Amino acid sequence: MARIGVDVGGTNTDLVLECAKGVFYHKVPTTLKNQSIGVVEGVRSICGLAGIEPAEVDVIVHGTTTATNITIEHNGSETGMLTTRGFRDILHIGRHKRPYNFSLHFSVPRQDQPLVKRRNRIAVSERVLPPTGEVHTALDEQEVREAIKLFRKRGISSITVGFMFAFLNDVHERRAKEIILEEMPDAYVTLSSEVANVMREYERFSTAAMNCYVGPKTAFYLRDLESKLREAGVSSKLRIMQSNGGVSTVESCAAKPIRILMSGPAGGVIGGASEGVMAGVKNVITVDIGGTSADISTIPDGRVKIMNPRDTYVSGHPVLTPMIDLVTIGAGGGSIAYIDEAGAFNVGPRSAGSEPGPACYGRGGVEPTVTDAQIVLGRLDPDLVLGGDLQLDPELSRKAIEEKIAQPLGMSVEEAALGILKIINNNMALAIRSNSVARGIDPRDFSILPFGGAGPLHGVALAEAIAARDVIVPVAPGITAAVGLLKTDLQYEHTEAVIVEINAADDAQLARINDAARILHDRVVAELDDDGIPRDGQQVEMIAECRYHGQGFELRAQMPDGPVTQANKSVIVGSFHDQHQLDYGYSYRDQGVELITLRAIGRASIERLHIPKVRQTDGSSIDRALMFVRKTTFDDGRTLETPRYDRTRLYAGDKVEGPAILVQHDSTTLVPPGYVAETLEYGNTRVHRVGVA
Amino acid sequence: MVSTAHALALKEAPAEIDPITLQVIRGSFETIAEEMAHMLYRMSFSSIIRESEDLGAGLFDVDFNTLCESESTPMHIGSIPGYLRGIQATLEDGEWFEGDVVVHNHPYHGSSHTPDLAIVVPVFYHGRLVGFAGNTAHHVDIGAATPGLIIDVPDVFAEGMLFAGTKLYRKGQPNNAMWNFIRNNSRAAQQLVSDIEAQVASARLGARRFVELVDKFGEETVFQAAGQLMDYAERMMRQRISEIPDGEYMAEGWLDDDGRNREQRLKVKVTVRVRGDELDVDLTGSADQTPTAYNVPFEGSTKVAAYAAFRKLLLDAYTSDVRVPSNEGSFRPINVIAPLGSIFNPKPPASAEARFTQCNRMIDLIIRALAPVMPDTVIAGSSASISFAAYSGVRPSGDYWVFLEVNEGAYGGRPRSDGPDSIDNLMANTRNNPLEDLAMHIPMICDRYELRDDVPPGAGRFRGGLGVVKAQRVLTEGFITHESERHMEAPWGIFGGTDGAVGKCLIYNSAAPDSSREMHSKFSGLAVNANDTMAYFSPNGGGYGSPLDRPAQKVLEDVLDGFYSAEHASSVYGVVVDLEDETVDIQETARLRARKKKG
Repeated sequence: MARIGVDVGGTNTDLVLECAKGVFYHKVPTTLKNQSIGVVEGVRSICGLAGIEPAEVDVIVHGTTTATNITIEHNGSETGMLTTRGFRDILHIGRHKRPYNFSLHFSVPRQDQPLVKRRNRIAVSERVLPPTGEVHTALDEQEVREAIKLFRKRGISSITVGFMFAFLNDVHERRAKEIILEEMPDAYVTLSSEVANVMREYERFSTAAMNCYVGPKTAFYLRDLESKLREAGVSSKLRIMQSNGGVSTVESCAAKPIRILMSGPAGGVIGGASEGVMAGVKNVITVDIGGTSADISTIPDGRVKIMNPRDTYVSGHPVLTPMIDLVTIGAGGGSIAYIDEAGAFNVGPRSAGSEPGPACYGRGGVEPTVTDAQIVLGRLDPDLVLGGDLQLDPELSRKAIEEKIAQPLGMSVEEAALGILKIINNNMALAIRSNSVARGIDPRDFSILPFGGAGPLHGVALAEAIAARDVIVPVAPGITAAVGLLKTDLQYEHTEAVIVEINAADDAQLARINDAARILHDRVVAELDDDGIPRDGQQVEMIAECRYHGQGFELRAQMPDGPVTQANKSVIVGSFHDQHQLDYGYSYRDQGVELITLRAIGRASIERLHIPKVRQTDGSSIDRALMFVRKTTFDDGRTLETPRYDRTRLYAGDKVEGPAILVQHDSTTLVPPGYVAETLEYGNTRVHRVGVA
Repeated sequence: MVSTAHALALKEAPAEIDPITLQVIRGSFETIAEEMAHMLYRMSFSSIIRESEDLGAGLFDVDFNTLCESESTPMHIGSIPGYLRGIQATLEDGEWFEGDVVVHNHPYHGSSHTPDLAIVVPVFYHGRLVGFAGNTAHHVDIGAATPGLIIDVPDVFAEGMLFAGTKLYRKGQPNNAMWNFIRNNSRAAQQLVSDIEAQVASARLGARRFVELVDKFGEETVFQAAGQLMDYAERMMRQRISEIPDGEYMAEGWLDDDGRNREQRLKVKVTVRVRGDELDVDLTGSADQTPTAYNVPFEGSTKVAAYAAFRKLLLDAYTSDVRVPSNEGSFRPINVIAPLGSIFNPKPPASAEARFTQCNRMIDLIIRALAPVMPDTVIAGSSASISFAAYSGVRPSGDYWVFLEVNEGAYGGRPRSDGPDSIDNLMANTRNNPLEDLAMHIPMICDRYELRDDVPPGAGRFRGGLGVVKAQRVLTEGFITHESERHMEAPWGIFGGTDGAVGKCLIYNSAAPDSSREMHSKFSGLAVNANDTMAYFSPNGGGYGSPLDRPAQKVLEDVLDGFYSAEHASSVYGVVVDLEDETVDIQETARLRARKKKG
């Protein structure tokens, strides 16, 4: 029994392997052109590291940015669209809002980088009418065939169908698909009612078009990876992390790649959540700090939250698919510090990335970055980064900060470096605030869980800024996202639009809800069946997405156990009021509650990674882990002789008082004066104020 | 884990706040404003607030300076200080108490226009008034002469409920008489009352966050920082103004009519007078005030629009790395002049509710005036109108339904790119309503929502944007009021680009779509029957630069995308395309373009 988690990032491909011999971690360079090369190489080498044969691997769980990168690089498939006559330009018009209030020269992604060009959006005669979904104008099948002919002439085989009111009645969309497949059997077809069977035409069409845009390439990547793994002697199941935090199969993701657009960050959040569980902490805020950006997610009571569908955008296009609730901000190790023309001191969102990278990389970067500030303050040892694999030049850091910040502002280099960190930490703290306090969550009950190699350098400062309880540093901060891949379940979701005002609903309307629930239930069960999950291992959760009658935004409410009846429909209404109160601090108890969408979530647990415990302390001195002592400057401006400890040589129960720095291969944890770092049973670490339990 | 030593150190008020703390406080301000706006639109019921996000929110000091403001809709940004000054002059009790909540919308006491109600909460710190938290939002119906919107009315008293410094809560206690009064004076009372409640919740949240901020950094530091942030925005604006050559720059245009007197066109004249790092926007020479609602409140709208024009022109958020904080600093170097009694500065009791299209045209003309000296910054004429439609009817229950819709336009061609299509432009920036949501909830259905391709956009090296066509049909009898513009004067082309196209508006019954009535750009309270349809065609933007300089490949793409015809491509752009092969005929194109350049 061996399992591998493999997470592909911009620079490195991170792997974790669990087998009878223990848990192994590994990193290989990401192969940007085709991620599968690096993945296969990583799998091969981590097996070697563990001393097992690739054939012994049972499951590989994969987090990938392939689909996301297509949207960033704008190199998806040329896509055709069939839509309702009179509504050819829904994708072009969008919600008609500009991305900037004060600009004349802005770009509009939906027009400048369209998912489907106007020439390939063909309107056909058909019309379904609200509110019942009756067919008013039958689908003109000849027009559909003409459109396919044009697509064939243009070499287009990725085709999306988006008809108005298809969420009420999908008969025309389904018929169009049959015709497309008759005319063009190899076509990659996406129906709006298949991928997002909900009200709101632009968002539904955009979701379907996005699926066709990223679909063929993503499907190719996944199948290619699967066959490359086979060639390398790996016969395991391959699972893919989805944006909702659950994993899925290659086949399912190849058909609906929109489900994996946030695959990468989702692994990190799940990894962070599982680290919270390991540390025995219920409420965590995960902060995944990379080179250019930081992903922040609030996880109350161990439950990962799902973003409101109104907020799920990918590269400027709305995509209605469940995504873990996280905020991404332009703050990372490579964020550039600069003084603007009117004298303000800014850090980020512009980033030096990994090329040229921070000034200290010596690759031609002359602008100071957050990493340079860490170097100047002695928080990052230039000779120890990545275990010494990456040699950094501290003089270049100092020079960049001196010239670009310190001199213009008339401060010392140390003051300038402290300023860079203070500003970037504040930017992150504000983003944390928007993902927590702004939603009624009190950070004093939460632990900051920083990861990404540089995360633990910022942990304490962030905890202070938002008044969090403490900081939990994961076992392997540089590889937490890969670990998350082995910490999650299979998960499938389906939706149906069912628009019913619940308080006033008669028995016939309740029957509609129950019918839809039954259909959804069967759909998720069928997917889990296909994965070979026995029925007793399947769980299906039903969610009622509701709003006050007249509102525009839905929140998730509970469904009663079993069918909805006049007697138990108050369960939905009551839980909706409570959720509204929680999210907005306000509820309108006398207002009618309207169901808009039913959602079924099917889950099956798969075995989770077991991280081994580390040795309990025998009361011996922590000097066994002491590496050396150097000067480090802390946020209060003091420069102190600060010991460095090898984190891997600390035992559970060991306490390291600040000032101190804990070093491991790919990460550094800062323990300021007044704080203590306590090693927990898995080698994870809790940092808290001295004298505060 | 709050670091008290750190917090205490910051509480000593320094003469000048260091740039680091300044940046930290700025971030906190901006987060508070966004949080206030977010709560307001997520909680609200009417589509104009929840979908269109026609709102603004922020914090203010006791001198009514903006400390922070949400990035919501430009017309609201910068308008709240005017309300605060108006409230000061009219405040019930003559003083503020802790726990007060004030509603205000009087256009002659600083409001932007009457449907935009402001809700303001005083912020007390240790028993002393230190500032205000407030927001504005557009309400569906405040009991005016016609449902939703008004144009052809005699005076300000036809605009519906006028509030001036009115307390909805006094010392935390609700003023029930006032709440009841409001409930009985709107055609959409349920939405109005719930949305005011959402505004109150948002303003109270802002007040709470304000106090937390002062607790953390100390009062003097917070206000000192706010002062410095205003100076910073001012410095930035002055730098950019000083890059414009000194001089007087003029442009003028004509509005269609005032919504009643169809023969009388209304002049808009803009003079931009640049002197060093300051400038005047002088509207002298524009039309006299009108006898209808087609006038612009000076404090709450004219000035706000003029400031916004220069934020767009000089502090472009897309092209610049630097974000300028949303406060009054950037307005200080701009002096707005409009003679009392003119369309941009009416005298009471004139009505001044329908004020948007004049503002948009003023901005368009400011851009045009500066074209000779800022050719790489200005853009060609945009639709610069708006289509603001109010649909309404009476349900079988006897209750009204009222729906407000903002339709978009198009931008003019730009120095480096085409004008964006079918998008809210210049001063407007709302979201449209999902058509499916609409049709599931009110007796209307949309028959068409597409790019406007019946007439080409202004041709140019960079073409103008295409406007939109929207055909909305009412399923039962009802009323429509429409506030729009630019049926007579097309958006201009510039530097060799050609003009765009004027807007139009048709009304027809779906049983006989060919016998349509062509409407004026503004009409009020038109009674319509079941299946009557209003089709609005917004203006197309003007072109920038000579169409003969547009790359032939781009012209081909335009033709394939149906933005204009192959005939138009050859006659105006000098590009010959082969529609069957979907290619450019390079030789023919070269010949044709050479001939056109000569002749």
